[in-house]
Amino acid sequence: MKAATKAGKKKNLLTPTTFSLLHATDFADRLLYKIIPPLKAGMIVLADRYTYTAFARDVARGVDRQWVRDLYGFAARPDLALYFRVPIETSLERLLARRVKLKFYEAGMDMGWSRDVNESFRMFQGKVLDEYDRLVEEFGLEVIDATGGIPDQQRRVRKLVARELERTNG
Amino acid sequence: MVSEPREAQVTDRVQPGHFYGAGLPYVGLEHYPGKIIAIEGTDGVGRSTQIRLLREWLEVQGYGVIETGWTRSVLMQPTIDMAKASNTLNKLTFVLLYATDFADRLEEEIIPALKAGFIVLADRYIFTALARARVRGVDRAWLRNLYGFAIAPHLVFYLKLDVDALIKRVLQSGGMDFWESGMDLKLGDDIYESFRTYQAKLLREYNSLGEEFGFRTLDARQSVDRIQKNLRNQIGAFLGANERPASG
Ligand SMILES: Nc1ncnc2c1ncn2[C@@H]1O[C@H](COP(=O)(O)OP(=O)(O)OP(=O)(O)O)[C@@H](O)[C@H]1O
Ligand SMILES: [Mg+2]
Repeated sequence: MKAATKAGKKKNLLTPTTFSLLHATDFADRLLYKIIPPLKAGMIVLADRYTYTAFARDVARGVDRQWVRDLYGFAARPDLALYFRVPIETSLERLLARRVKLKFYEAGMDMGWSRDVNESFRMFQGKVLDEYDRLVEEFGLEVIDATGGIPDQQRRVRKLVARELERTNG
Repeated sequence: MVSEPREAQVTDRVQPGHFYGAGLPYVGLEHYPGKIIAIEGTDGVGRSTQIRLLREWLEVQGYGVIETGWTRSVLMQPTIDMAKASNTLNKLTFVLLYATDFADRLEEEIIPALKAGFIVLADRYIFTALARARVRGVDRAWLRNLYGFAIAPHLVFYLKLDVDALIKRVLQSGGMDFWESGMDLKLGDDIYESFRTYQAKLLREYNSLGEEFGFRTLDARQSVDRIQKNLRNQIGAFLGANERPASG
């Protein structure tokens, strides 16, 4: 599964729909092998990205909003979903500080909106953030201000998680 | 358009050349001159044989023709082959892989061909995937949404064969394989019995899909020539009576 996603990405062969479907396939695999079994065993699953990533990213690429939500209809709804929000400039700075080049799809270069990678990133991620704002409303995501320090963020995350655990166990 | 009384039962049937559902919002489909002709049917029913003959016939008349077939996309074929070989796939990931393969061929091959006025001969369309998924208990409404990006073909022919005839044909042309026998469904250890049960279930799904999507059914037990003649008659009538060549 990973192989096709990687190969497709490497050759920049993906359309918005095949991009979306490949990630859904990968997600289904992860859900069935890595998420559902521990849930059945009563464990806590920490998922770094979930269906909401697809809802935001794939719609920014132009797939139908309802279609992609229905596509993930097989996924378990998370008990708690955290959305770490930063302005585009901040995420761009953080990415650029870590590595030299932005990834092709991450910067939305496949959309052909700008030849300049940074500019393309701004345009594409701008749409992604707009979609996330919609998701916060629609699915009740908990927003974490991720511009602040890590200890502050962690404090808030722990509080939300503790509250959720109390709610479901207590 | 006024539909025939029999067709009127299915009120939500999509017009040929239109998306079944949400579609591809970033792709317009306005007035593409090309046509999609799909040939459906279970394994070994004679699709490739008929398509080869149809292609020759259409090209002689001056039509541009492309063929597209299941799991033949550049993107997905290696992955699907690998996944099949290892038997590790879950039904859900399988359905999604097939859909990805179809989406890739739709956008990279079929839509460009339709724009250019070609006739697309599809060796299986979405219906085989739907039948296989339904047999495996995948939710029907979910499947319909999933394939909402597909374009309704102009003609769908269904080569229909009963289980007994089908088994003989498959055995003659190379034998049964794991997936065609539905061994993943664990219907039993006996590959023959499993094949029988699985193919019978598949046939039931094809029949119900036929009603839902308006297949034109042909008896696949007839001779190759007879089936071909029937196909040519119907396709010729559809493409325009003027261009129909003398029968032979
Ligand atoms: N009408 C027919 N009558 C008898 N045998 C046929 C007929 N049509 C095809 N065959 C034979 O059946 C076998 C399968 O035919 P073919 O490869 O065309 O089927 P197919 O539907 O494309 O199969 P597959 O599912 O394997 O792609 C071949 O050996 C072919 O010669
Ligand atoms: Mg064939």
